[in-house]
Amino acid sequence: MSDTATESPSVAEGMGRFERFLSVWVALAIVAGVLLGQFAPAVPETLSRFEYAQVSIPVAILIWAMIFPMMAQIDFSAVLGVRRQPRGLIITTSVNWLIKPFTMFAIAWFFLMVVFAPLIPKPLASQYLAGAILLGAAPCTAMVFVWSYLTRGDAAYTLVQVALNDLIMLFAFAPIVVFLLGVSNIQVPWDTVALSVVLYIVIPLAAGYLTRRTLIAHRGIGWYDNVFMKKVGPITPIGLIITLVLLFAFQGDVIIATPLHIVLIAIPLILQTFLIFFIAYGWAKAWKVPHNVAAPGAMIGASNFFELAVAAAIALFGLQSGAALATVVGVLVEVPLMLALVRIANKTRHHFPEAPAEARG
Amino acid sequence: MAIEVSDRARAWLKTKGGVATVRLSPRHGCCGGGADIAVAEARAPEAPERYTRLDLDGVTVHIDPTLVDQGLRLDVEGFLGLRHLFVEGASPTRSKE
Repeated sequence: MSDTATESPSVAEGMGRFERFLSVWVALAIVAGVLLGQFAPAVPETLSRFEYAQVSIPVAILIWAMIFPMMAQIDFSAVLGVRRQPRGLIITTSVNWLIKPFTMFAIAWFFLMVVFAPLIPKPLASQYLAGAILLGAAPCTAMVFVWSYLTRGDAAYTLVQVALNDLIMLFAFAPIVVFLLGVSNIQVPWDTVALSVVLYIVIPLAAGYLTRRTLIAHRGIGWYDNVFMKKVGPITPIGLIITLVLLFAFQGDVIIATPLHIVLIAIPLILQTFLIFFIAYGWAKAWKVPHNVAAPGAMIGASNFFELAVAAAIALFGLQSGAALATVVGVLVEVPLMLALVRIANKTRHHFPEAPAEARG
Repeated sequence: MAIEVSDRARAWLKTKGGVATVRLSPRHGCCGGGADIAVAEARAPEAPERYTRLDLDGVTVHIDPTLVDQGLRLDVEGFLGLRHLFVEGASPTRSKE
């Protein structure tokens, strides 16, 4: 292995300006949305009229624009590697599906319903809790490749864990959400949850899979990766920012009345991110998992699939809901938090065993 | 060695025409940016001139020049009769955007 192989790329090398300053763009989207809602209320009002079966068509299109590109790049054949790094996969799937949703619920409930009870009216706190539950129920599916790059993760392992987690998400997201919302006394009809799963997981995933298979068969994998995905991939962050503008056009009054709530929602989300990272990372250390598996394995759970959380919050509770606001706070804090975890992972690399010689980059 | 090919990968590749491609596949992040992931396929590349061709004990491997001499290993894995090639030892690299 060369000397440079142990050096991690700098954040500037690993991330462009857009993603490094995502929090700034999200903040600007909030301001733009609030201004739109206050000074041109006809725009969101008009858009909200385009509904079918209580599903907002403009919002559905934006959410598909966010989620479809991520699904179209998943290579599900990577799941065939599920036995290659069994310890890493046991840790990441256990943390993502057996621990993370429940710690998110516990931490968010404690802060929003108990600690901040004097500051947040209970009905609103329940809505924020619902948003936190949605964030906790889905691990990251796309940015983990960037986090893996920044920590010199094992590329093949990262592919496997993403494919496996996306398959699990298909079946586990709805039951976990319904269970934790039920525990929180937040009633949502099963059919509404099922509809949001079909609309925002099953349809984009099936469309992504079929698009991938069809276009690769007709145009080749090189064209698909280097032409098609290069054009489609950047649609996700664009869709995200436009969705946030629209969402805050509806949320403007809440933000103006209670800006402190954004900070209060952020506190449990930040604590949860660090907790989940250290559970997975510490478990990996205890099991002597190589760093190039431990780091991406811990990152996937710490980071959230917030596009799905935003989509589900809008579908279940509406654009003007506290749940939707809480999921957006997840977006707001995501990149700075994850970059802090990247730094921690890179500084603690020497505490982990080296990958076997043939498995190093 | 430019790239190591495991015995089972070599045996499997010979049943599939004896050709493999090792290339970089871009993955886009949801917040923007992305990374290139090394992947392997049991077929010839669409533009062979962009790859380094290696003849390794009966199999031909077309490999992205940036992945040569990185200590990578080509292997095969799977279950229930399904198999696919994979590259071991690569870290993601930065997308060329």
